[in-house]
Amino acid sequence: MFGLIGHSSSFEQAQQKAMDLGLEEMAGADLMAWCSAPPQLLETFQVTSQTGKTIQGTYIDSCFVPEMLSRFKTATRKVQNAMELAQKNGINVTALGGFTSIIFENYDLSKFQQIRNTTLQWERFTTGNTHTAWVICQQVERNAPKLGIDLTTAKVAVVGATGDIGSAVCRWLSQRTQVGELLLVARQQQRLQDLQQSLGGGRILSLEEALPEADVVVWVASLPQTLSIDHDSLRKPCLMIDGGYPKNLDAKVAGDGVHVLKGGIVEFWQDIGWQMMEVAEMENPRRHLFACFAEAMLLEFEGIHTNFSWGRNNISLANMELIGGASLRHGFQAIGLAADQLTSALIGRQLAAA
Amino acid sequence: MATLETAAEAPATLELSADALPDFTSANYKDAYSRINAIVIEGEQEAHDNYVSIGTLLPDQADELTKLARMELKHMKGFTACANNLGVTADMAFAKAFFAPLHGNFQTALAAGKVPTCLLIQALLIEAFAISAYHIYIPVADPFARKITEGVVKDEYTHLNYGQEWLKANLDSCREELEQANRDNLPLIRRMLDQVAGDAAVLQMDKEDLIEDFLIAYQEALTEIGFTTREIARMAASALVG
Repeated sequence: MFGLIGHSSSFEQAQQKAMDLGLEEMAGADLMAWCSAPPQLLETFQVTSQTGKTIQGTYIDSCFVPEMLSRFKTATRKVQNAMELAQKNGINVTALGGFTSIIFENYDLSKFQQIRNTTLQWERFTTGNTHTAWVICQQVERNAPKLGIDLTTAKVAVVGATGDIGSAVCRWLSQRTQVGELLLVARQQQRLQDLQQSLGGGRILSLEEALPEADVVVWVASLPQTLSIDHDSLRKPCLMIDGGYPKNLDAKVAGDGVHVLKGGIVEFWQDIGWQMMEVAEMENPRRHLFACFAEAMLLEFEGIHTNFSWGRNNISLANMELIGGASLRHGFQAIGLAADQLTSALIGRQLAAA
Repeated sequence: MATLETAAEAPATLELSADALPDFTSANYKDAYSRINAIVIEGEQEAHDNYVSIGTLLPDQADELTKLARMELKHMKGFTACANNLGVTADMAFAKAFFAPLHGNFQTALAAGKVPTCLLIQALLIEAFAISAYHIYIPVADPFARKITEGVVKDEYTHLNYGQEWLKANLDSCREELEQANRDNLPLIRRMLDQVAGDAAVLQMDKEDLIEDFLIAYQEALTEIGFTTREIARMAASALVG
């Protein structure tokens, strides 16, 4: 049995979901009431791999909503209680989805292993970041050429380069691909310098400096609401992989030569009989899911019951290859640019040539 | 939308580690403690009396129930010692009034011979309430009370388990009664939590935590008894709203 811990993308959506589930009281309850709502094990379902193997999964809604982010005690309690519920249900491996893994890391929840009378066993949990990083790299490698971007000469900016996913993406791109140049963007200078040294290359730039130079931008940091991007200053074509959470880049910059792809999202080879991805506002909720969730499935398919992705900057290229191989074998595929995006890119190239 | 940046600003480790304990000697603390401690003492007394009473409805289990009842009296003595240790006199009049509505509902059910309702009130609601409160109290308790409470909380799981097992075995015949008992009594628990929220806050126990932890223990018991996830979510909602 694998597990997924998730949450609604807004309070309003959580209320709507409660209504759909026939929980009228919760649908009408205010945010304060939701702050005290315990996690719920909402559904169990089966997933069958392309290989024919079938596994059982379960979805736990942490009852966290992004509006609770400023209430750190509430936010941490939601994550810890959801993890406890997963463990008490005997789930072998559970992925922390959406904000839950961010909260876990930011608030250093690994220091708090005891939840009431339960000692959390970290080996039962994964952030899913190894698979997410691998998927994002695939998205860069496969989609840049489709826009006419030659990766061997391209400059690829990684925004959030020192984070868990960001640093893994940098390592992969610098060692497993022939990208022209890596542009490293993050807030903490010391960590950037350490990363640059470990990579043996890459140029450290501010976001403002990096964007106008980049042919490909991988966003793996949450974007501040206030962030504004000068569309005119961007290179055209430009591929932007929106690998952060929440995915709000499209509305900011997409269009006119700038192509935004939802990063870290995979498509399964067949429909999955669940409802949960509807709350994540996936384009095809029966088949599309976060790569981090897919990692829990892959670990269960493969019988790898360890905390495969855990802690910061522990993602190895070998593990990315391992999970990537499993991903392809069991029927996952990184989502790519849509047909209309490719058509507009083609027209843009033809106009430029004329 | 809040961002990672704003979320990261909170002093998480500082507050979560609860390394700043309250001043157990302050007048404010002692005043709040006089009511909270009284509630705990009264709660253990009620629990004792209730298990003995349930024994009259289930004569074949009277011995087991008497054992549980004795444990509650032991707990009561422990918590009385906690008050003495801090030089606090428990406000028992407040505690009696605090439990009166729930006490009344239990007595009505007892008179009507309704075992499921009696068990829901005592073995599920009161025990889940106690378990959640004790868990949240332990990290912010004075060292003396901490030790005693740690011992007590283990016993309370045994009591929750007793009610759980009986109701599980008899769910088919008592499902509707349990749902009604939930509707009648869960809002009382909510009101009781509201009533002590101010005093609990002085002891560094958050109402939000208390409600969520109570619901976790209660929902676990309902799951074990055999209710479905959706039934449970519906049943629990009345503790959060209204």
